[in-house]
Amino acid sequence: MLESQLPVLIVLLVMGTVAKLATVYTGGEPGALSRLGPAVLVPERLQSSALVCCAVGELVLVAGLLLTTHPLFRWGTVLFFALSTYVLMELRRRRPDAGCGCFGEVSSAPVGLRSIGRTLVLTGMALMSVWAPVPGWMAFVNPSWFILAGVAVLAVLSPEIEEAVDRIRYRAPCEQRPAPPEGHTLARLRASGAWRAHRDGLVVAEPYDSWRELCWRFFAFQNQAGDDVVFAVYLSGRRPAVRMAVVSTDSMPEYTPVSA
Amino acid sequence: MGFPSAERRRALAAAALGREAGVPGPDPGDGAPLTAVAGEILDVSPHLIIIETVDGEEERLVIAPWATAWRGGDVAPADLPVGGRVILRALRDGRVVERIWGDVTRMTGTIVSIDGRRDLSVELDCGAHRGRRTIVIPYRTTGRLRVRHPQFEPGYLFDAIGIRDEGETRALLPATSQPAYPARSVPSPPPAYAGQQPRISGTATWADAFDEDERGAAYPMLERSDAGCPDAAVSCVGLPYLAIGSLLQVKNLCTTRSANVPIVACGCLAGRFCDRCVECGTSPRGRITELSPSSFVELGGELTKGCFNAQIGLG
Repeated sequence: MLESQLPVLIVLLVMGTVAKLATVYTGGEPGALSRLGPAVLVPERLQSSALVCCAVGELVLVAGLLLTTHPLFRWGTVLFFALSTYVLMELRRRRPDAGCGCFGEVSSAPVGLRSIGRTLVLTGMALMSVWAPVPGWMAFVNPSWFILAGVAVLAVLSPEIEEAVDRIRYRAPCEQRPAPPEGHTLARLRASGAWRAHRDGLVVAEPYDSWRELCWRFFAFQNQAGDDVVFAVYLSGRRPAVRMAVVSTDSMPEYTPVSA
Repeated sequence: MGFPSAERRRALAAAALGREAGVPGPDPGDGAPLTAVAGEILDVSPHLIIIETVDGEEERLVIAPWATAWRGGDVAPADLPVGGRVILRALRDGRVVERIWGDVTRMTGTIVSIDGRRDLSVELDCGAHRGRRTIVIPYRTTGRLRVRHPQFEPGYLFDAIGIRDEGETRALLPATSQPAYPARSVPSPPPAYAGQQPRISGTATWADAFDEDERGAAYPMLERSDAGCPDAAVSCVGLPYLAIGSLLQVKNLCTTRSANVPIVACGCLAGRFCDRCVECGTSPRGRITELSPSSFVELGGELTKGCFNAQIGLG
């Protein structure tokens, strides 16, 4: 019974570590970190180190909880979650716009009572596990039904789950998403029927100009007659639509749609 | 890789997708068109102004009786100095002048350093293409500027309007309320919903980083690799990706004028401002485009106000 929540704690700590490290290393926009979690409370140049430190600390706790029954790691976990509760309350007071950052970038919603409630519950779980007689891996081997209860309580208190569902439901339209690299789209073009039909007429196989507008990427080539050959490749889908036209350099565009 | 003209891209894209290639210029249904004329004053009297345009031609324009002029403050048109650079808003095919801005300039950038005790000398980083510039904030305008720029320290954004005089750029009017975040931490756009909105509202501003007399716009949402602009594709508005050469339909909601303006530059700095325009009502947040002074004036914008509430679509 006492060890029943150890697996939940361990899995959550591992998820927290991975998400924090991913946030630091994928980086995104410079300054994006400042929108994430308690890192906003430290100066900007220390923000990524603060997140990495936090992630490493979590990893050490995980290892200790999993392999030993040493009270140092158990009380360490209690302290970690108790401190988190305090930090979140402080964050809510000082920077109401910042997210909790508990799971990195997904937790960018402002800290609410639910996030604080969750760390309180986790503190309780950690406190309960202090007197557990077996190490964490034993609890994984012999799971009990109490795990499900713990998971359910945490799920109710997690704003990230709603965020994830929203992200899947409301995916940004193609014209607002960053495009795949140009080379990738060019490879898609070269696999298309339109390309095979017009390849031989081109002077060089490399485009002399390429640009992206909305959900299309355009590639402009020159053919042997000195006209421009332009291909438009749709940016979404595995076998995207390809359109092409031959435009004479001095006359009105001649328009020949081809779909692949 | 060559760099064909922006018009060529437009023609090619239109041909490939089988759509009409739009025509740059004002919407013909807007009534009497406004014309922006830029040049250097050769002579000025209360009723006539003679300027030399960028092409080296001499233009003689009639000053309307109700015309007003600005040069660091409201002045009578006849008091503008000979040799100064002016932008004129003219009616009747550009023959009758009704508004004159003399030596007007706009300083938009990220603060790099601030020196000085009375007159402040501020170095601004104006983005990858525009480089850095040093401006002076005269002591008498520091209060006025600082009240709208509470974070007056390196790393924060700065936007002011002023004049160029004797080789010095002086900031006189705040052009916006400074965003509260550092330039690098632009808020992310609200979650986008599938199904694109055909029109996007926000604020349109102007910049003097264009060629004099050029009609064009800088747009924040360009692919970084295409535009050669490492800071592009940042905006707090959910803007669609467009390219240099795309035609933007810009509508001034305050005067209901609209025009097709080609995108000619990367608006990496405009995208960092998540501000509003309060020119007529309060616009939604976010600078959606930065126009060249001539385009801004022809859309009915007032250069010293710095912005208008705008709506954009693909031209």
